[in-house]
Amino acid sequence: MYFSRPDFVAGARDMAPSLIGLLPFGLVCGVGAQAAGASPLEALGMSALIFSGAAQILAAQLMAAGAPLAVTILTCFVIGLRFLMYSAAMAPHLKPLPSRWRHAVAFLLTDQAFAAAVRRFRDSGDTRNGASYALGTGVLLWATWQVSCTLGYWVGNVIPAAWSLDFVVPLCFLALLVPALEDGPTRIAALAAGIAVVALDSLPMRLSLICAGIVGIVAGLIAEAKRDAP
Amino acid sequence: MTSAGGWWVVILVVGLLNYLSRLSFIALFAKVEMPPLVARALRFVPAAMLMAIVVPAVVFSAPGTLAFSYTNPKVVAALAAAAVAWRTKNAVATMALGMVTLWLAQWLIARY
Repeated sequence: MYFSRPDFVAGARDMAPSLIGLLPFGLVCGVGAQAAGASPLEALGMSALIFSGAAQILAAQLMAAGAPLAVTILTCFVIGLRFLMYSAAMAPHLKPLPSRWRHAVAFLLTDQAFAAAVRRFRDSGDTRNGASYALGTGVLLWATWQVSCTLGYWVGNVIPAAWSLDFVVPLCFLALLVPALEDGPTRIAALAAGIAVVALDSLPMRLSLICAGIVGIVAGLIAEAKRDAP
Repeated sequence: MTSAGGWWVVILVVGLLNYLSRLSFIALFAKVEMPPLVARALRFVPAAMLMAIVVPAVVFSAPGTLAFSYTNPKVVAALAAAAVAWRTKNAVATMALGMVTLWLAQWLIARY
């Protein structure tokens, strides 16, 4: 038996504050789906199965603009490439667990759940407890996401655009970014990526995002090699 | 406007691709050892990717229009939020103070 109820509850409880940020984000996604002409069921399908605000917003924008389906799919896939890094970071912790646990935690992997779960794995050092904690964060986030996206779909357009609620999204990522700037090489990686993403802005399909990520990683590796050189 | 079938193609294919991205290394590194170079490179992915996500949302006043200036309320708000994130490491405080700063900056810039 791998399930630990107290850890599951602790995971859900620790996620509660970040729901404040999740609600406006979900509302924006719901509004986007509604504005792009999705039916209620299609909007629910997006939030339930894609379960990624960035991809949902992009999908809605591209569908509304009448972009080819392949472009929409590829663009959403490209923006989801960041899940690869979360997956890699979670991998060592989930290795001892049965495969169905790995599949469940993977399905519920998000920016916030990842950040919280990795901290828990590091603190407790117990795979069973950490995985139940990750499941608790993931289930609460998923359920809240469905409610907030649906709410956004039906009532979202009563929120004035002047409130700029969509700005909560980059702020949420900023809160994840700053703790990641742990030393010189990571700061150089971020700086290089920030410059590259602006310089490459004219690339199609938001390719600037993943290209800037690669530029940043290479810059970080070079900076680290230089720092560690004898 | 795209047909209803188009939406479901996007939902199912993107849903599957997102799931496979999330599962990828969790499944792979359950079976094989992580190469040292991959482990070293992965250390930089959060800093690089998150910066690449945040910067365009802040410094462009409209798509393709660069506005890296104190007259862009989003730049002011993002800098304030970054300071809060640096000091507190608290996501809720970062988002709350960032939004309050954005509203204040919007009001001040519109007024003066």
